[in-house]
Amino acid sequence: MARVNTDFIDEVRRSDGFDATACMHCGQCTAICPMGLDLLPRRLFFYVGAGLEDKVIENLETIFSCLLCRLCEENCPRDVHIAEDVRFLRNYINRKVHKLARI
Amino acid sequence: MEDRRIGVFICYCGGNISDYVEVEKVRAAVENEPGVVLAKTQMFACSDAAQDEMISDIKEKGLDGIVVASCSPKLHLYTFRAMSLRAGLNPFRYTQSNIREQCSWAHRDGGPFATEKAIRIVRAGIARARLSEPLATMRIETTPKVLVLGAGVAGLMASLTLADIGLPVFLVEKEPEVGGWTCKWGGMFPQGNGSDLVEGLLKKVKQREDITLFTRAEIIERTGSVGDFTAKIRVADGSVVSLEVGAIIVATGFDTYRPAEGEFGYGREGVWTLPEVKEWLAGNEGPLAVDGRPVESVAYIYCVGSRQPKDSELERPNLYCSRYCCSSALHTALQIHERNPEVHQFHLYRDMRSYGKYELLYEEASRKGSMFFRFENDAPPEILAESRRHIVRAKGQLEGDEVLDIPADLVVLVTGMVPRQNDALINVLKLPVGTDGFFNEIHPKLRPVETVMDGVFIVGASQGPKTLAESVASSLAGVSKSAALLKKGYVDLDPYIAMVNAERCVWCGKCLEACPYGAIEKSVLEGKEIASVIPSLCKGGGACVPVCPEDAIELKGYTSEEITAAIDALIEQVAAPVP
Repeated sequence: MARVNTDFIDEVRRSDGFDATACMHCGQCTAICPMGLDLLPRRLFFYVGAGLEDKVIENLETIFSCLLCRLCEENCPRDVHIAEDVRFLRNYINRKVHKLARI
Repeated sequence: MEDRRIGVFICYCGGNISDYVEVEKVRAAVENEPGVVLAKTQMFACSDAAQDEMISDIKEKGLDGIVVASCSPKLHLYTFRAMSLRAGLNPFRYTQSNIREQCSWAHRDGGPFATEKAIRIVRAGIARARLSEPLATMRIETTPKVLVLGAGVAGLMASLTLADIGLPVFLVEKEPEVGGWTCKWGGMFPQGNGSDLVEGLLKKVKQREDITLFTRAEIIERTGSVGDFTAKIRVADGSVVSLEVGAIIVATGFDTYRPAEGEFGYGREGVWTLPEVKEWLAGNEGPLAVDGRPVESVAYIYCVGSRQPKDSELERPNLYCSRYCCSSALHTALQIHERNPEVHQFHLYRDMRSYGKYELLYEEASRKGSMFFRFENDAPPEILAESRRHIVRAKGQLEGDEVLDIPADLVVLVTGMVPRQNDALINVLKLPVGTDGFFNEIHPKLRPVETVMDGVFIVGASQGPKTLAESVASSLAGVSKSAALLKKGYVDLDPYIAMVNAERCVWCGKCLEACPYGAIEKSVLEGKEIASVIPSLCKGGGACVPVCPEDAIELKGYTSEEITAAIDALIEQVAAPVP
């Protein structure tokens, strides 16, 4: 059970750095990921879109394991800027969890 | 019995028949029937090539009667009549034997009986064909005016277009106002405003002298037949006017699905159906608020009351998709995004069917931040109450069945269309109703607005759920069918009507009581009172035949002799056992 937190959605929305609205959950990114990451981009975007901040933070390891190789992005039929979005989440976690100032 | 020259053509229907009926065996079993001079099989009897072959057979062999054993006469009766005419054969000497709907399709479970039954059916057809007589169609003059029932957008458009063609229109609306649902719904997809649309149409209608609009009016009686109807209309002041028209267009629209109390929380403040939300949006300009509380989050639940499972406990589940609701809900979400971009919108859908150009609405809504979650039919969302808010609990199927609790100030139940309860109208017009409760057309592809009642057309959402654009297209189809009927000035009616044997008739009046079309009247022949048939009103229903105590009334083309001969042929033993 996960509660949708609209504040988190607003925070992400305000930042301009994250945009996965075009994602249609096709799973192309999943199929192509050379790292075989536990948490696949589409699931990650769902967590963000639904405002499930806890789920995002729970998956901190995975988010930082991404190679940013952009193979997924290259193959995304909806042109989602996947790498950019992952980078945004790292930044978010650095601030929220690691208490680092924004670079 | 005269010496007949009958040709029998048995159709494979490309497997529809031949997969279950051994067509060649049927042919062999009937080729030596009395009167048969030719028996053939064809892959598709209705194809142009097969028809050409029939025409040359009729000419070369001098056939004076044919039997086509294929599908239901509902499908191809006119095809083969026209073919007969081209071959110089009286079209009423062609007999249709239905070995598809009434045989092969009914016996798909296999077994040898389908072939035996087909033989019997074809033999019965031959027996009738042996007795068939050349008949002539009956021509009646048509009244070049049209009655349109229902002044929603479909009815208004039909009336204006008929008037453009030069056919005067009587437009009858039950409600005090025209425009139906459309004028209540404000913004409509893909663009435009419902009430503006209706206002524009009404203005045009009022300018037309050849359109007479009755509001708060209802049809209470209809007599006559295609091309020559008389309709009695009860108008606003309670009086009754009688109208002579050649065709009737039914544009009575639909009703919206009303959820049961408690269905997805319906009945609670802020749990509204899509039409209610559309009316609410159309009727308020200010900030969006429910019960004084600002709307920050909206949840949509799609397919409420649509695509209900067959095995549900409902008495008559709505099995169909209402077509318009996905697109309409997306458009509503866009209106809300427009009015307040801060509002969070969550769409819980079963399948997103924003088909055709309306796919762009989905794209736009998702770009503007609408979130979409797919749920499975057996795990629908639940609505839980939380202090002045609702919690929509849903299992996101594409998200690994993650259960989400979505807080919502407004829950939109995306409801579909249901047939309008209109028993009186159905009774007056004898309209055919389908299993889904909407009016039934003759052929879903080729005769989409025609009904089994000639001259009565069903258009718009009275025939089934449609978007407004589709509804208007359908209404214009009704216009062109009416015009095609009335502009010619006459219709040719089937000669299959009742005939009275004046010698036998003793005028007891039983046939008059039995006839639902009012086609029997009393007349006097050489000082004797007898029943007589009004040819233009007689539909050949045959209700008069069995009630006659003197056997004095017969149906042309379906005489007792022909029917008895057909029954005898049906029950006659099929000689060789068919394995």
